[in-house]
Amino acid sequence: MTVRWILSILSLSILASPLCAQMYQGRELVKAELLADTNAVVPGKPFTVGVLLRMQPHWHTYWKFSGDAGLPSEIKWELPPGWKAGEIQWPIPKKLLDPGDIQTYGYEDEVMLMQEITPPASLGDAPVKISAQASWLVCERLCIPGSANLSLTLARSTTSSPANAELFARWRKTLPQKPPNDLAVHTTRGPHELSIALKSPAIPKNASAAFYPLPDEKTVAGHPKTEWKKDELIIIVPFETNPPEELRGLVVFDNGTGWYIGSASAQIATPVSHAAVTRGLWTFLLFGFIGGFILNLMPCVLPVISLKIFGFIKHAGQDRQSIVRNGVAFVLGIFVWFVGLALLLIGLKSAGHQITWAAQFTNPYFVLLLSVIVLVFALDLFGVFEIVLPQALMHRMLHSGAREGEAGSFFQGVFATALATPCTAPFLGPALGFAFTQSPLIIMSIFLAIAAGMSAPYLALSIHPAWLRFLPKPGSWMDHVKQFMGFLLLATLLFLLYVLGAERGYEAMTWASCFLLVIALACWMKGRFITLMASRLTKSFVFLLMLALVIGGAFYFIGDKFRSAKIDIVQASGDWQMFTPDRLQTELDQDHAVFVDFTAAWCITCKFNEKSVLESASVRDAFTRHGVTKIKADWTNGDPAITKLLQQFGRPGVPLYVLYPGKSGEPFVFPELLTKNLVLEKLETITRSTIASQ
Amino acid sequence: MKMKSLLITLSSLIAASLFAADVPPVGSAAPDFSLKDTKGQTHSLGQYKGKYVVLEWFNPECPFVKKHYGSDNMQKLQKEAADKGVVWLTIDSSAEGKEGYLDADAANKIMTQWKTKQTALLLDPDGAAGKAYGAKNTPHMVIINPDGKIVYEGAIDSKASPNPADIPNSTNYVKVGLEEAMAGKAVSNPQTKPYGCSVKYKSM
Repeated sequence: MTVRWILSILSLSILASPLCAQMYQGRELVKAELLADTNAVVPGKPFTVGVLLRMQPHWHTYWKFSGDAGLPSEIKWELPPGWKAGEIQWPIPKKLLDPGDIQTYGYEDEVMLMQEITPPASLGDAPVKISAQASWLVCERLCIPGSANLSLTLARSTTSSPANAELFARWRKTLPQKPPNDLAVHTTRGPHELSIALKSPAIPKNASAAFYPLPDEKTVAGHPKTEWKKDELIIIVPFETNPPEELRGLVVFDNGTGWYIGSASAQIATPVSHAAVTRGLWTFLLFGFIGGFILNLMPCVLPVISLKIFGFIKHAGQDRQSIVRNGVAFVLGIFVWFVGLALLLIGLKSAGHQITWAAQFTNPYFVLLLSVIVLVFALDLFGVFEIVLPQALMHRMLHSGAREGEAGSFFQGVFATALATPCTAPFLGPALGFAFTQSPLIIMSIFLAIAAGMSAPYLALSIHPAWLRFLPKPGSWMDHVKQFMGFLLLATLLFLLYVLGAERGYEAMTWASCFLLVIALACWMKGRFITLMASRLTKSFVFLLMLALVIGGAFYFIGDKFRSAKIDIVQASGDWQMFTPDRLQTELDQDHAVFVDFTAAWCITCKFNEKSVLESASVRDAFTRHGVTKIKADWTNGDPAITKLLQQFGRPGVPLYVLYPGKSGEPFVFPELLTKNLVLEKLETITRSTIASQ
Repeated sequence: MKMKSLLITLSSLIAASLFAADVPPVGSAAPDFSLKDTKGQTHSLGQYKGKYVVLEWFNPECPFVKKHYGSDNMQKLQKEAADKGVVWLTIDSSAEGKEGYLDADAANKIMTQWKTKQTALLLDPDGAAGKAYGAKNTPHMVIINPDGKIVYEGAIDSKASPNPADIPNSTNYVKVGLEEAMAGKAVSNPQTKPYGCSVKYKSM
């Protein structure tokens, strides 16, 4: 505060002096100066003034959104009545990184904050004095607030000529440009992030870009990421609070240009993955609708469909009104069932809190359980056996379903969907996985879409019974569809087995497959021998045998063999070394540049990055050329040492790519989606700066 | 077929949901930690289950921290909390050699000089506790309820400035948050953007 006092006194005593300095330990940290781009004030004619802040080397002041820490600089004007000051024109700032994943936006060395000043149309003849108080936070390793009272006296004239032309021209070049007119901005809003898609021929394709957000006070924004999807630049801004309705921010390209963009009225989306974000909610609702429609073609629903179709035929002669009423009641039944399911999911979700899949995938037993479920559903689809509801329940449903009237139709709707469960289960499985990551609103919307899809044909038929003749005839093609889906599930099973193999070695994968074979055998026994015709004795015998097989198999293959299977020591492939904390430390102690690839077998993004970037010829060459040690940290099994390091970088999981320039110097954290250019460029700059510092 | 794309979409959704989350959000369980205080005693969050706990990230060199200690604002808040039986843990996550790093002696000296009133000042030079909470500023404030859930995180008050003169005109989120939570109400501002200096973590 004393500094400020001295400064105020200084600036008061030297009225004309526009120059002020902030002192720290005998050094001038910030020199502040007020300048105008004109030599005189012309009444009514706007001119520009600039507060030029010159910092000591490496010290920085902040942009209008300072990021994770810091504070924006402020300028408060004391202008004579009738004068107006415009908004501060902020030059494009730099993104500054500090340990602990702290990102701030600011200016190093110097910055000029310009503002337009408009004098009133009538002015006296005396010279005009305008004053402002500028305050800032200047930081390097530590932060010090500073402020200065600045003033400027300008002659009053009827004509003026430019002043400080070169300086103003230079700083005007650092301002963001007007975005191109054909820039299409499309924003989708998810529960935890906003995704902004930019499209314009003016954006150089695959240019590397960054986004500096301007969140309002109510929202806490995380670190935006950018990536290219075909010809669109996608910006993803995560939020710790609920994402705002709209967000402004600055897109900055590596050639130094920048555009302010605003994303008004974001639409609600289902952002699980970035792909999902850009797809948007409507696509999912459409898929839900189509999926629901297809459910009608499922063999399990067939008995109810024919029941209902007979109903339509029977009613065909009756008055339209009652047919429509029956149809609507039936549809209502379908909706009630799906709403119930959605509510169940929402309940489960809120009880279980944010279940993250990543952590579960590091648990081989979870993967094994998923494999069993997927296999059983596949066998069901192949017709090896059928998942049926208990006899008594089925009977009661059909019985009440046969009743006449709207109530009957309503229950038929509920039961049609209940009966369809064995066919819907393979759908609901993935939907469930998806739903756990979604907000209740979206879960409900998707289930409503499925219900709408399933009921669409009934509604149409009850309004236009004549359309009955367009119905496809039931036939063997329905079985073909079902069986084809079985193969898709088998493909999923292959992926799960691959994950198991990566986690526990091929031996464990073999034992797990043996257990799956036993499960398959048990399913076949159920389908083949536990039938309606079978005697009670046969049924009980087969059931006991199945139980023995499954339990025995579980004990032998899983409890014993799988658990004790030798885990292959994962050998680093190629020129990668396996991560251990000691190895990393040793390399750093020797002042080697080190690149660490945090990966896992079940992480698809990781595989993609490795294949398309890290293992590409140009990047491999660059690693060799710059003498960078490559370390692979394999998190497939949730290695605690790696978990710890991930947490130090503030990451919940993989992928993570870090480049350590050597013993000293901050590690650089790459975005989750790597590009060759980015890696090459960073290798270039980091190794260059290490050489320079030596 | 549409069916196939539906299945593919759904399964890619599962795959995509493998990547999520960041710092512990409000409403989630507060990460446990175990840190030594300036007297050499170890404190863990677990031992305070059943009590309200306030965490305060601290750096005696930071002007924003000085704003609240120099004006006696923080000490008053700490005293109020203590009177209500709230545990107040001040955490210094500055790494050795960086601004605000304190060893036990230096920390005790500052506590005496500044007449601080917290339950304990914990030393976290590795930054483990700070990073577990995603603390990026000093001060960064967290309120944890007796069930160990985070009910507030963010700034100390509503006026982001280093100027003590702004304190009377700002809403103190911690004070309000504690009052609301302890009265059994939902915290009206459960998450705000913290302001201040960056936490001076160890360079990796």
